[in-house]
Amino acid sequence: MTEFLSEKRIPIIKMRDYLVVSIQVDMHDRLALELQAQILEEVSQTGAKGVLIDISVLEMVDSFIGRMLSGMASMAAIMDAFVVIVGMQPAVAITLVELGLEMPGVETALNMEKGIEMLEKRVGTKSQKNSKQLQ
Amino acid sequence: MTLKITNLKERVEKVEDILSSVAAGDMTARINPDIEDDLTGVESAIDLLINDLTEELEERKKAQDELENKLKTIQNQQETIRKQQEDMLELSSPVTKVWENILMLPVIGTLDSQRTQIMMENLLENIVSTGCTIAILDITGVPTVDTQVANHLIKTVTAARLLGAECIISGIRPAIAQTIVHLGIDLSSVNTKGTLQDAMRYAFRSSGQKMPDEIDTQDNWIGELK
Repeated sequence: MTEFLSEKRIPIIKMRDYLVVSIQVDMHDRLALELQAQILEEVSQTGAKGVLIDISVLEMVDSFIGRMLSGMASMAAIMDAFVVIVGMQPAVAITLVELGLEMPGVETALNMEKGIEMLEKRVGTKSQKNSKQLQ
Repeated sequence: MTLKITNLKERVEKVEDILSSVAAGDMTARINPDIEDDLTGVESAIDLLINDLTEELEERKKAQDELENKLKTIQNQQETIRKQQEDMLELSSPVTKVWENILMLPVIGTLDSQRTQIMMENLLENIVSTGCTIAILDITGVPTVDTQVANHLIKTVTAARLLGAECIISGIRPAIAQTIVHLGIDLSSVNTKGTLQDAMRYAFRSSGQKMPDEIDTQDNWIGELK
């Protein structure tokens, strides 16, 4: 059973400067921790500037997963990557708020499209600033 | 004194029969003594008792019927009240898309936890289905804001933020601002505006759209140039 679970991996897709992670299976605690490690590893290897995490299929997010998501945002921020959580369902948002997990510091977007726009705005302005500084 | 009783055995048996039929629920049976002697008094007394019992039973039945009728009316009224409450809950939180990318939810009346729950669900579902990223919550019609109501508002705003939408609260009257500060509620995490107009202007700006009046003046200006 445990072997079967650990074999199930969530794909992380690199798209230009961003990583796209679409969670399409029910999360359990170990999978969440593995995913966190995997994403950070990928960020350091590819030098991605942004991470999009699509949770539109997740129907249940408990306090552990919520904490993992907000923790990942701060960890990635230290590594200079911007995390956007995309497509949270209303029921999930209500549950998180009722649990008192308001996820401060985590950026959210309604759907993938708006998430990418947001990343482009953030990362784009940052790189523009950098290039101006270099000039 | 000697007792003068004729047919003692038969008559006692008759009394027994009548009593058992009364006990079984048949209130029509009577002894109707036809011989005058010492036992007649007892027999007619039993008849009288049966008569009294019958009357009492009838009265009680009437009272019970009345009570049942009243209960039915009350139940009907309660059903009506429940239905009306449901209707009110459904009617009380209309979410409308007022402009491109802007949703609006006017809140009228007192906010309790049940109403806010429905309001929140309604708003979030509309945000997802319309894809609007800005929602204006207008509380001009809310008479008082206490800690509980403020808490509900903050929860709604936070939940909307988790979805990726921004929620603006407008229609904060001076009295409400006073109570909020007096109660020590921190609304700094929430974007608040005084009037709906201000909120609309902010929503237009932050979604990169122009207010209709701005477009008009600009067009006129261009027209004058030509």
